Amino acid sequence: MVTKKEKRIGEKSPVLYFILPAIILVAVILIFPLLFALGISFFNWDLIDESARGFIGFSNFVNIFKDKSFWNALFLQLGFIFIAIPIETVIGFFVAMLLNREFKGVKVIRSLLLLPVFVLPVLSGLTWRLMLQPEYGAISFLLTKIGVSQTTWLAKPTTAYAAVIIQDIWRMWPFMFMFLYSGLINIPPSLIEAADLDGAGFWDKVFKIILPLLKPTFTTAILLRLIDALRIFSEVFVMTEGGPGNATTLLSLYIYKQAFRYFNIGYASAMGIILTIISLTIAIFLVRKNMMMESA
Amino acid sequence: MRKAGKYFLILVLLVSTFLFSQPYKGSTIKVLVWDDALTVAVESMIKQFENETGIKVVFERIPSGSILEKLALSVSGSKADYDLVSVDEPFVPQVGNLFMPYSAWPEGKIYSKIDLERDLIPGVAEGSFWNGEYRGLPINGNVYVWLTRKDIVNNEQYKKEFMQKYGYELDIPQTFDQLLDISEYLSTKGIYGFAPFTKNAEGATCEAIFMFESYGTNVLVQVGEHDFEVVLDKEKAVEALKMYKELCKFAPPGWEDMGHSERIAAFNQGKVFSMFQWPAIVPDHENKDQSVVAGKIYYGAPPAGPAKRAAIRGTWMLGIPNASKNKEAAAEFAYWWSSYEAGKELVKVGMTPARTDLLLDPKYVEQKPYFVGIFNSMRYSVSRPRIEKYAEVSDVIKVNWLAGVTGRVTPEVAIDNIIKGVNEVLEKYGY
Repeated sequence: MVTKKEKRIGEKSPVLYFILPAIILVAVILIFPLLFALGISFFNWDLIDESARGFIGFSNFVNIFKDKSFWNALFLQLGFIFIAIPIETVIGFFVAMLLNREFKGVKVIRSLLLLPVFVLPVLSGLTWRLMLQPEYGAISFLLTKIGVSQTTWLAKPTTAYAAVIIQDIWRMWPFMFMFLYSGLINIPPSLIEAADLDGAGFWDKVFKIILPLLKPTFTTAILLRLIDALRIFSEVFVMTEGGPGNATTLLSLYIYKQAFRYFNIGYASAMGIILTIISLTIAIFLVRKNMMMESA
Repeated sequence: MRKAGKYFLILVLLVSTFLFSQPYKGSTIKVLVWDDALTVAVESMIKQFENETGIKVVFERIPSGSILEKLALSVSGSKADYDLVSVDEPFVPQVGNLFMPYSAWPEGKIYSKIDLERDLIPGVAEGSFWNGEYRGLPINGNVYVWLTRKDIVNNEQYKKEFMQKYGYELDIPQTFDQLLDISEYLSTKGIYGFAPFTKNAEGATCEAIFMFESYGTNVLVQVGEHDFEVVLDKEKAVEALKMYKELCKFAPPGWEDMGHSERIAAFNQGKVFSMFQWPAIVPDHENKDQSVVAGKIYYGAPPAGPAKRAAIRGTWMLGIPNASKNKEAAAEFAYWWSSYEAGKELVKVGMTPARTDLLLDPKYVEQKPYFVGIFNSMRYSVSRPRIEKYAEVSDVIKVNWLAGVTGRVTPEVAIDNIIKGVNEVLEKYGY
């Protein structure tokens, strides 16, 4: 005989039991480190000199706002995001449109196009570094063939920053393609056929049917790319180590430098908290917009 | 019965000989080192050490760039996950106080304690000195050694033409002015005179300090016990930077972003006349499978600036953390690594010994001609700024030096920015 209390547990708790391992895992590997980082962001926390550690209140945050290098790194990071992601999205969308039809070999092409996404970021960075090498690099070789003078691309601030962005676009546009293609194939063909019967042109169909229907897919894809782009590190590190000067020291690299080169863990944690707040703000904005679109 | 007694006695003697010959039996030490061919070789010989001493060695090799991070996370004043840690010279001031002074290291029971002055190359021990004490045992003779192509300076045609144009004999450059002349001359022969280090990495700081010292100035000086002062002489520093820029005019294409791999490739392909190199990389230049200039290189001290010759030193030391619980066993391992007997084997796999008797042993000098060059270079060795916050000081020097060398700012502005930036670091940390 089942008691009332047992019945209540039996009725309500299975869901809790199923999600409990996930909650514990998230708490251990995400929430605890985040809270710990938040805690030490209020400390002067030198990793080596224990005697120098102490509570300093909001000093780290105040110093961050006075730190020109931080603003430069944040500017570079946001620039990177707002240049790279839109370009990746546009390329991904149009390639998805192009390959959203059946012809011989299309499946092979679709699969091959995804290859760059599977390249390790470190390998991608190293390969691009070699390809841009002025004397032996493949890209430099091709550019000189079309009359561009031999240039040390990674030694000039502007070209180095551009190279980092181009490398990211090369590696990650197939990710956008993958997402948008999966969205495209779910659009009912009858809608497109109806538009064709009504005499709609290509751009009419894109702007009035395809894009509105793909909005949730776009939002999810951009959100995931954004999270990824905010923590970009290894490919930039191996390509330029943040140079020349600080021209490619994105915020993630600057945080790494403060934490593991200068050992200012408290200061780096405070910057990490700011980066988390920026990420969350953008993520919440995008998710809300997505939810509003769905409810509408 | 008497026979049985005899056998028993022999057995007891054998067992006790084995036991007492392993004075540390039961001890285990953890050792943290950088990862390269040398430490792989050390690891391959550890079994022999374990058999001799009874010490079990857990040997952890990690990339050299990660050692400091690992050290910071594993060793503190009160705890030590390792009993012996390798530390690169410029970071000795930052972590030196975590280690037991070498003067307090115990005597070895099997291997003799190394006498830093008698046994090691003059100058090498300075790399481990901080706060009035040697903080560990230097383990390699790491210093800039200057590579010059012998086949070029011995080319009769070149000699004749050079003499006609410059009025003195083409030879190993002894000064930067001579190197500049030779570089200019060789540019007419399709040979690059010089390969700089201009990648956004520690090597660029080394180049800056090397030039500053050669021109008679340096960046920092310690004032009193805990204070520092920026002493970079602007005029001399600007001259040094200008000379480096002049030399870069005769560097291979892409010189604005040259790291070790680019420099090694250019030199091994026979395109470059002269450049510095770290000893650990020199074997690559002498490997006939990888280098067309193997056997054609002269190794010596760097050319002199107006003030002196200077060679950047970067020795690694083995340190015993104050909090280690196995100090005796750790010291024994360090003595074994530094011993002549172990060194003989390690030299074969590319170790640049810190011991004078190994470095100048005629047998090895014949096989490894760069050993004498290293010995000579060490006489002119200089250190990078010695300060706890070296990483930040180094970044300031590196970024502004490279900006000056690659022409993004004028030499004057670059030097002003170094002075300003280092002063800001000092101010930030209350020096």
